Formats: sequence, structure tokens, C-alpha cells
Amino acid sequence: MEPAEAEFLAEKELVTIVPNFSLDRIHLIGGDLGPFNPGLPVEVPVWLAINLKQRQKCRLIPPEWMDVEKLEEIRDRERKEDTFTPMPSPYYMELTKLLLNYASDNIPKADEIRTLVKDTWDTRIAKLRLSADSFVRQQEAHAKLDNLTLMEINTTGTFLTQALDHMYKLRTNLQPGKSAHSQDF
Amino acid sequence: MCEAYFPVDPGLGLEENFLSLDDILMSQEKLPGRAESALPRLAFVLGQGVGTGDSIPEGSKLEIPLWLAKGLHDSKRRIISVELPKIYKEAWRTVFSADANVVDLHKMGPYYYGFGSQLLNFDNPENPEIAQTILQTFISRFRRIMDSSQNAYNEDTSALVVRLDELERALFRAGQKGLIDFQCWEKGQASQITMSSMVQNYGKRKFTDMDG
Repeated sequence: MEPAEAEFLAEKELVTIVPNFSLDRIHLIGGDLGPFNPGLPVEVPVWLAINLKQRQKCRLIPPEWMDVEKLEEIRDRERKEDTFTPMPSPYYMELTKLLLNYASDNIPKADEIRTLVKDTWDTRIAKLRLSADSFVRQQEAHAKLDNLTLMEINTTGTFLTQALDHMYKLRTNLQPGKSAHSQDF
Repeated sequence: MCEAYFPVDPGLGLEENFLSLDDILMSQEKLPGRAESALPRLAFVLGQGVGTGDSIPEGSKLEIPLWLAKGLHDSKRRIISVELPKIYKEAWRTVFSADANVVDLHKMGPYYYGFGSQLLNFDNPENPEIAQTILQTFISRFRRIMDSSQNAYNEDTSALVVRLDELERALFRAGQKGLIDFQCWEKGQASQITMSSMVQNYGKRKFTDMDG
């Protein structure tokens, strides 16, 4: 899976916008949206929010967690804990990138938010490497990674599963009995 | 283009994958051995005699490719006996257990893991130790491969992979791909349509076109 595909899934998340046009309730395959009234907040998927924003038909209200103080708290807790802490959104990285790229004028302290999210990401990735290493060293066969998000799993996923696959094969070489010869002339 | 190309991966176990090019190359590697019985008219083929009719006397030393050794080896009919190559012997196993990271597995291999796994087919009494060493070598080199593949962005990685075994190189590439894909996405390059590298390398295009 590519990061763009993870982003595609993230675009299904809902955000609140304030439209500046009127539109009746629209019926889409994945659910009904609207009605849209100028000045009244309404929840829409991110893909629509970005499209409307690009057409200058709405103002975007940042998600509750996209706030400097809350993100600072999340970052500090992430640094303190040994395991992964729950993230405010399962697509925090994707949403930060999308919303800050297309609607940074609607998000207060956009630069600080960008830095904080990046810091949290770096902390988590470093932690992921550390735990992957100890996982391999102890030759574990399973692990629980509850609070890891899709994007994080995706960046190291192929590498890690491939390495574990090799390790599994090298480990089964050790087991006797499997070496029964298929070629007995 | 590489998404539509599914090469057969190496087997990395007691059995190779029949159609894996890596495994075919790996099974070409020579193995030291000894003829347990006389092999008539085979001296020339195995690179020892001059005439086509010469035979190999019993007990002479041989260098046999792995695929042939596997075919001729049989615990009942003793045609040849196989010795361990030196990097799988006790002395080197000690080196690996001391610090596997210092060993140049590309010079020693380049199919250290695959070849070592195949060696277990020859019922050597040291088999458990060999298998254990191979596994431990992989485990202790894992961290460095992971760190170097996922931290090196836009750098010349040839220095990092020069000491890696072929299997580790494939792993390194997987790690690099994850990193590069993510960085491209972050910079917004993932949404741009780019020329396929196949087309870029295609001979019909003039090099002057590519600069523009």
C-alpha cells in the first residue's frame, strides 16, 4: 500500500466546515450530506471539504485536537510512555498534511502544529524501530500494536514483515524432521 | 513498471524455489568435497583432467557446484562426501557470534543465508550449530539494516549496502522504498504523474529530451 492510498482512506474522515452557499441535502452512496446553509457549520468528509475550500466556497474549522496545547500534551506523553499512546485521530498525520496544505489560513498557529505533529511522528517512528529490534532479538512470533496508525504501519510494514518472514524460515531450518528427503534415487 | 513484475523470490529453506533466479545463481556456488568412489570419464567435466576419457580416482578432492552436490549426495550410496565451506565452520561461526556486523557478507556470500540453509541438506553433524548461527547472524544484523535503510534519504546508499548479503540487500530496498514513498507523499510529489523509469531508460528517447 502506498501513502497516497492511506491518504485516500483518511479523506473519508469527517470535518466541520462553514459554507458560504446554500444547497439542499445531497444523497451520496456513502451517506447523505447537508443541507448546506451559509454561515452554519456542517460535517462533511475531508475530500469534499478540500474541494469546496479550493473553490472558495467554505471556511474550514480545524478538528478539536489540532490545537497547540493539546498536541504539546500528546507529544510529551508520547515521549514519556514506553508503548504507543492513543492518537487523537487514526489519520492524524494525513489530516494534518491535508488540512495544513489546503486550509492553513483557517488553522491558527499552523506552523507550530506542523512541527508538533512531526515531532510526535518522529518519536513514534523511533519507538517503532526500537520495539521492532527487541521483537526480532527475542525471536517473538507475535506482537500487539494497538495505537499505531495506518500510515505508521505502512512505512515500515513491508520491511518488517519481509524480515520476519526470512527469520521464520531460518528458524524452521532448525527443526529436525522437516529435512525428509524428497529426492531419493 | 516494477509493480507489474513479480519475480520468483528465493526459497531460503531446505528447498530452493525452482524458478527463482537468485536460487539458481546461489546453487552455482562451489562446495568443497571428496570423491568417495571412482568417477569414470568425469575428470574433464569437473575440471581436473585434460582428456575427455580421464576418470576421477577415489578420494580425490573436488570443487562441486551445490546443485550437483545435492544430486550426487546420498547417505546410502556414497558417491561423494561434502565438506563445509570455511565460513560455515566453527572458526567463522565464532566470529559471527562475536559481532556479526563486522563481517562482509557480500564478499563471503553473496548468498550467505540461502547457501547456508541449503548446506543443511547434507546431514552434517554440525547442522544445528550452522542453522543457529545463520539465524543469530540475521538477528544481530537486523537493526543496522533497518536503521540505515530508513534513515538514509537522498544519500548515496552504495556504501551502506556494500557489505550486505543479497537477501539483506532486498530487505534494504524494501526499507528504502517505505521511506522514499512516505517522503514523496509528505512533500506532495505522490500526486504528480511522473515518467516511468522504464520509459526514461528506453533507447528511442534522446537524452536531450530528458533534461527538458
